Amino acid sequence: MSVPSEVHKNVILLPQTNQLIGLYSIIRDQSTKRGDFVFYSDRIIRLLVEEGLNQLPVEETIIKCHGSHEYKGAKFLGKICGVSIVRAGESMEMGLRDCCRSVRIGKILIQRDEETALPKLFYEKLPEDISERYVFLLDPMLATGGSAMMAVEVLLRRGVKMNRIFFLNLLAAPEGIEHFQSKYPDIKIITGGIDEKLDEHKYIVPGLGDFGDRYYCI
Amino acid sequence: MTNHTSTPSPAPSSLSVKIPKPRRFSRIAPDNDSTSSFFNSSDQLTDSPFSESHPLQATTSTSALLFGNENGISNLHIETTNSHSNVHSQLQTPLHGASYIPPWTEPYIIGIAGNSGSGKTSIAQKIVQELNQPWTVLLSFDNFYNPLTEDERKLAFSNNFDFDTPESLDLNLVVETVLSLKKGHKTTIPVYSFEHHNRTDKTITIYGANVIIIEGIYTLYDPRLLDIMDLKIYVDTDLDICLARRLTRDILYRGRDLSGCLQQWEKFVKPNAVKYVNPTMNNADLIIPRGLDNVIAINLMIKHIEKQLILKSSQHLKYLQTLDIKIRDLNEYNVKILPINNQTKGINSILFNEDTERSDFIFYFDRISTIIIEEGLHFINDFEPITVTAAKSYQYQGLKLVDDIVAISIIRSGDCFMNSIKKTFPEISIGKLLIQSDSKTGEPQLHYDSIPQDIQQNKIMLFDSQIISGAASIMAIQVLLDHDCKPKDIILCCYLSTELGLRRILNVFPEVNIVIGKLSNINDNADGSKWYNPENCKDTDWQFRNRFIDSLYFGTD
Repeated sequence: MSVPSEVHKNVILLPQTNQLIGLYSIIRDQSTKRGDFVFYSDRIIRLLVEEGLNQLPVEETIIKCHGSHEYKGAKFLGKICGVSIVRAGESMEMGLRDCCRSVRIGKILIQRDEETALPKLFYEKLPEDISERYVFLLDPMLATGGSAMMAVEVLLRRGVKMNRIFFLNLLAAPEGIEHFQSKYPDIKIITGGIDEKLDEHKYIVPGLGDFGDRYYCI
Repeated sequence: MTNHTSTPSPAPSSLSVKIPKPRRFSRIAPDNDSTSSFFNSSDQLTDSPFSESHPLQATTSTSALLFGNENGISNLHIETTNSHSNVHSQLQTPLHGASYIPPWTEPYIIGIAGNSGSGKTSIAQKIVQELNQPWTVLLSFDNFYNPLTEDERKLAFSNNFDFDTPESLDLNLVVETVLSLKKGHKTTIPVYSFEHHNRTDKTITIYGANVIIIEGIYTLYDPRLLDIMDLKIYVDTDLDICLARRLTRDILYRGRDLSGCLQQWEKFVKPNAVKYVNPTMNNADLIIPRGLDNVIAINLMIKHIEKQLILKSSQHLKYLQTLDIKIRDLNEYNVKILPINNQTKGINSILFNEDTERSDFIFYFDRISTIIIEEGLHFINDFEPITVTAAKSYQYQGLKLVDDIVAISIIRSGDCFMNSIKKTFPEISIGKLLIQSDSKTGEPQLHYDSIPQDIQQNKIMLFDSQIISGAASIMAIQVLLDHDCKPKDIILCCYLSTELGLRRILNVFPEVNIVIGKLSNINDNADGSKWYNPENCKDTDWQFRNRFIDSLYFGTD
């Protein structure tokens, strides 16, 4: 069993198996058609969500089994909430729903302000009781980490505890991870791949292009 | 003259592969007699499971009754068939680990000979009907006529070609075919057309037969065939009666005219019968006078065959149970077991819980089966390096999967994985195997197979949601190997398995890859890779020894 590795504190990288590299080769390839891009991205997203769920605590419980045995098992606590950063983050909601059917999902819209070139919060809609929940922050790419950090600010303002936030992404740049972690050391980053660097335009190298554009076909 | 083709004695359907609906007690005869004999024979087995003493001896007196025919021929050939001693010798010298001998490797072969019109076909059909075995194959000599030349064909169309000599048949091909079936191989059989007097381009494929019935006038003619057959029957019906039956059949049902039929009888059928067919009576173990009318003889014969099959079946079972012994450390094999972590523990709890709603059960089974499939994919390592153009023409050194993957599901238990496999590979080819255990004896029986073409070039994911005795999985793997697949290309995916079943599978197929969701012990070990019970574990040490997963998944409980 290949177990995801904690590459450094609070950064969990999915095991870089041939299978996974094969999947990434497909979604990185610019000639991949949208149908395949969506399908294979979804497969990776499901792996990320499974890994995220695995980080959550469970409650020990005794189960009465078929055939009248007892199994010392575990019960899910179910206090989860997904928060997607609009638009690209919404592509990961489906994967989360595949694993947690009735999960609540909040949304945050952050856009780059044309005048200041800084990210600006436009809209947020989160469940009332989010402060009591474990939060999966969904955004497929961690480049500079600017919008993710703004989203975290929103969550912290709503009373979510830092160690209850998990940031799920498909691809991260080392600069972004460092920047993010320097400010929020207790938030776990769960990623499927860590790339080489950011280029001068703050794009991930080699990256996979604009995830939202490729997923939503614009 | 009519332009009807002259046929020697074609059976209505010249070859039929009968697949009766799985019946619960297929190996047990309806009356008490044979049931008790089954227990007797299995009791004997406990002492010496592969003893070479042949139970035919027990039926000697039975057989002798059948030989009071008017010719006074007493040719009681009770030759001990050596099929069982073959099993024995293979058991003694396993190459590495053990080898599995599926029931179709040693099918029970019955030959039925007799003159045209003697009632061979009816008796063969009666046997098929009475035995009700999962796979009984009726093989008719009619498919093995030599293709004719242009001149011969002209003769044949005018009723002047002799179809009744042994030379008109391709006996070499018959021997080849039966030998191949006897070895358990997938075998192709030609289809002969009497309309064109030639082999057609159609063929019939037979695989996995438990019982083969060979039927034709020259069944007991070729010494090579005599060696292969377990039971040789000659149907001895008076030639006058044969003629009468033949005339009725040909005129009423095949639209021929009387003079043509008589001409053929006089010229070919009768002389050949006297010259070649009648003497083969001496090769028979059993002679049935008066054909199908001889109810007592037929019933005795069927009883005897049933007894042989029960013996064969209990040897198969017995053998399966010995497979877990002598195995190396299980960690040396290609086995992966999902780690015990919060998620798997939580999902297991939901799946095991008897209060779980079906909708939840299906949802969580789909989830864990997706994880099992992803884990199984790690066994596939044939990737080639590729360079792809990622964002802004940056190059990425990636990998591309070389193999194609085919899914094979063991009905119905493996079908629980189909949702997840389609979610992982939407365009995957899916093959099916129906293997059911006899509810009384527990012996697994292959009922149906549908395997995609060219499967041997692909990686194969084989699905079964529960491994209990391991018998069904062993049989399924054997089916794949018989289709030329390599053990290292097979990935067996299973949710709940006993360690015993796993040991048996690995003992026979050490190179097969296996992914298990959970070993079926109740107590989780902290380290999922540690084995529950390293030595001498018995079937009864395991929980979940009944199949509940597919019942809950498909809602038939």
